[in-house]
Amino acid sequence: MCVKWRPDTSEADVAVNKEGKDINKADLDYDINDWDRFAVEEAVRIKEKIGGKVTVVSVAPEDGESMLRECLARGADEAFHLCDEAFEGSDGYAVARTLVAFIKGRPCDLILTGTLADDDCGGQVGGMLAAMLGMPQSSLVHKVDIQDGRANIVRELEGGLSEALEIDLPAVLSIATGINEPRFVSIRAVRKVAGLDIPVLTSGDVGLEQSQVGAAGSRIKIEKVFMPPEGEGAEIITGSTEEAAGRLAQILKEKGGIA
Amino acid sequence: MTQIFVLAEHRHGQLRDATWEAITAGRELAGKLGGEPTCLLLGHNVDSMADALAKECPKVLAVNDPWLEHFNSEVFVRALVPILKGRKPFILVMCNSNSILDLAAYLSVDVDAALATDCFGFEVANGKLMALRQMYSYKVNALVSFKDTENIVVTLRGGAFSFAPSGEPAGTVETIPCPLGDEPIRKRFLNFVEAEKGDVDIASADIIVSVGRGIGDAEDLEMFQSLADAMGGVLACSRPIVDKGLLPKYQQVGTSGVEVKPKVYLALGISGAFQHLGGIKGNPLIVAVNKDPRAPIFRAAQYGIVGNLMDVVPALEEKIKELKG
Repeated sequence: MCVKWRPDTSEADVAVNKEGKDINKADLDYDINDWDRFAVEEAVRIKEKIGGKVTVVSVAPEDGESMLRECLARGADEAFHLCDEAFEGSDGYAVARTLVAFIKGRPCDLILTGTLADDDCGGQVGGMLAAMLGMPQSSLVHKVDIQDGRANIVRELEGGLSEALEIDLPAVLSIATGINEPRFVSIRAVRKVAGLDIPVLTSGDVGLEQSQVGAAGSRIKIEKVFMPPEGEGAEIITGSTEEAAGRLAQILKEKGGIA
Repeated sequence: MTQIFVLAEHRHGQLRDATWEAITAGRELAGKLGGEPTCLLLGHNVDSMADALAKECPKVLAVNDPWLEHFNSEVFVRALVPILKGRKPFILVMCNSNSILDLAAYLSVDVDAALATDCFGFEVANGKLMALRQMYSYKVNALVSFKDTENIVVTLRGGAFSFAPSGEPAGTVETIPCPLGDEPIRKRFLNFVEAEKGDVDIASADIIVSVGRGIGDAEDLEMFQSLADAMGGVLACSRPIVDKGLLPKYQQVGTSGVEVKPKVYLALGISGAFQHLGGIKGNPLIVAVNKDPRAPIFRAAQYGIVGNLMDVVPALEEKIKELKG
């Protein structure tokens, strides 16, 4: 079960940093990637149904420990924190290689990830992991049923259409948001895992050279980031709430927005 | 010289529209880097699809096998690896569809290529390709370059490359044998699953009030439903609302939900990610209310209010009721 720690930009005001190679992250709140929360819940549900053990792993900076602890509170059995300055600047390829180095010595039947991370919007790690491990894989999975060494899954296509597939285990499944309703984490559950040890592993601990991880081990290099050009945006209606609402109602009426 | 390949995508035996956008991008890359694009068509009973592609592409490499009738990433990877490995260095261009999402990352590792997904533009500097894509909830643009390998796989943002017929003479079709090998296939397509139909039909509605992540909880839905009722419209939503279980999937607008074609689209607390906008067809009037002035929805909308929904929505409903008398 692989999870990612990332800044929450869904509702935040973002700005490009001085160097122009990333955004300012100092003021952003970090949290587990939205998609991964659903994947953790699914892993725990599968365990509750058919048994087994859920191991959570993340390539994350120091602060990411709180996310791993939350995963334990959600029902995972153990967590490992791959944490090393050398991991900084990793693209999907470098992250996948790092995770594979960790996973290789630990036989497993099923690897779950989220489909997409909302910081780099790449959707790469699950597929790359699977290829590096030689396992079959599927993404955007919104239904999983494990039996007889197989995963029967349904995955999203477009326009409400889905497809049903069967996949032999071991396999990598990248989960879609909405597959389940992630459980509420009680204070009791949090307390219960507060004392659990979360081992921290460096690149050397998983047998990788520094040149194989982080920016050095990546295949994508960000040359620059910039805000999209303003272009022909919306006309912003200003004034008091009352005035703005009145003007908007008038526009809606003129354009056929009131039947 | 780098060879440029475009993978054709099909479903139910028909080429998918995004294939033409991929051909457009392939032509653009060939124009910038030299050479001409070759279209890869992997399918079953491919003749008519191959002929259609050859009209727009100088060369079509077709692979015909019953296993390739339905898109299955494992089968496609297995067929594509030997084709591409023998033709390095290459750039492979594909759509960013949900089918390709299953394929691109896996394939890139197996053919030793760097991968950039969901690209909306390309630049070339000193003969090296760079791609434009988006990050951070699709709020920021990034220009990325590729390293450590000469081979590149890119997938394309839907709608970013608009197709026009080339007007050139038709290209050639070469059918090559199917290199699937004897290893068992571990991932098997079973059947398509159609969307659940509901009692609210947003697809044919003229007036849509659509709510997104920026709204509160279930109890707030009543307020938005009430506004939709006052306008004589229907209530719809973006993906996070369905993920939270607040509204059913058949009320979700977007590429993974329902395509709508209203006259007026009122977007409340919707950031405006391209997956959502991709479901809004027919150029309606889009009006947005959002507390984040940088929300992408304000680039798609004609009118907007930057403000708190809890204040704006009741005020708007009142004004609408006044206008209706």
